[in-house]
Amino acid sequence: MSDDTDRPVAERRGFLPIETNAFDRVFIAVLLFVALHLFWMRFLEADLPLMVATVLSLIVGVIIVMRG
Amino acid sequence: MRANSVGWLLLTPTLPILFVFGVIPFLYVLVIGFMNWNSFAANPDMQFAWAENFRRLVFDDQFLYSLWLTLKFAFFAVLSEIVLGYFLAQLFMKDFPGKGFFRTIHTLPLVIAPIAVGATWRLLTVPGLGPLPYYLNRWLGYEFNISRYIDQAFFTTVVMDVWHWTPLVTLTLLAALSSLPKEPFEQAQIDGANRFQIFWHITLPLLKPAILATVFIRMMDALRTVDEVWMLTGGGPGAATRYIGLHIWRVVFPKTDYGYGSAMSLITLYLTIVMCWMLYAGLVARRDLKRAE
Repeated sequence: MSDDTDRPVAERRGFLPIETNAFDRVFIAVLLFVALHLFWMRFLEADLPLMVATVLSLIVGVIIVMRG
Repeated sequence: MRANSVGWLLLTPTLPILFVFGVIPFLYVLVIGFMNWNSFAANPDMQFAWAENFRRLVFDDQFLYSLWLTLKFAFFAVLSEIVLGYFLAQLFMKDFPGKGFFRTIHTLPLVIAPIAVGATWRLLTVPGLGPLPYYLNRWLGYEFNISRYIDQAFFTTVVMDVWHWTPLVTLTLLAALSSLPKEPFEQAQIDGANRFQIFWHITLPLLKPAILATVFIRMMDALRTVDEVWMLTGGGPGAATRYIGLHIWRVVFPKTDYGYGSAMSLITLYLTIVMCWMLYAGLVARRDLKRAE
């Protein structure tokens, strides 16, 4: 009788300091997306529009998901 | 495959309930967080506001102060509960006269409703009526007034939380301590390890999963504490104990600023998730990785 818990999870180690699976990397990317936007609104939005933060955090997110 | 189907079948009654009471309210708050919706406003209708609520809250000194207070409260309360709970669990591992009675008495706060705990502590500490200020003044000459001194009010809320929730930590750690294998401890004693070395190198690593689970539960609870503090201090004096839950309540109900309150709730949830995840990543995932190397 097979069980889902026996199935190996595709974890790997990239540049992040912990082993992660795909869900972990998406989760970290979402957390960073929110953190970067809040930081931007508080400190940088007067000089640079929020769209820059969105583009930056999407790029960072893609890098984390691909290489993290 | 069959086990998988049985698993889903067993989850069937839970999933709709979780969806109705967990997922739908969360999605609703998520949507409202991006809306301007205040029934006292000139236009009381719901209007899409992009990130305006979030932009407003990163500059809101009252919100940031409440957040800081809540983090301070959670730190002191959870740390004290873990330390005290561990020592009490170790105490209950030993035999002593009246152990059963003491254990029952010690567990009682756990079954009391938070609102009743708040009311009890209010009666204990209210100036001019409560026995605590009276005897502290009479015996030690110490003026204890939680309606006047902000530090006293803050630490009284911490002590109340510790009194209420330490039994939970004790019971969790007691269960964990009872299930530890004896062999590593005997081996360490034979090798001449002292008590601190045994605690640091054997007990603590073996208890780590139980301690982490307890810290997660208690931290999440401490970050959303409302009712006890509401009964005890009402968030005062001033805003000295206006923790984030109380602050959100003030914004959502008396001020009816539903959009802004939802944005605050989302940020609080976000911070809770981030802190739990960082704790997990820092204490478990990273160390496991080092061990694997």
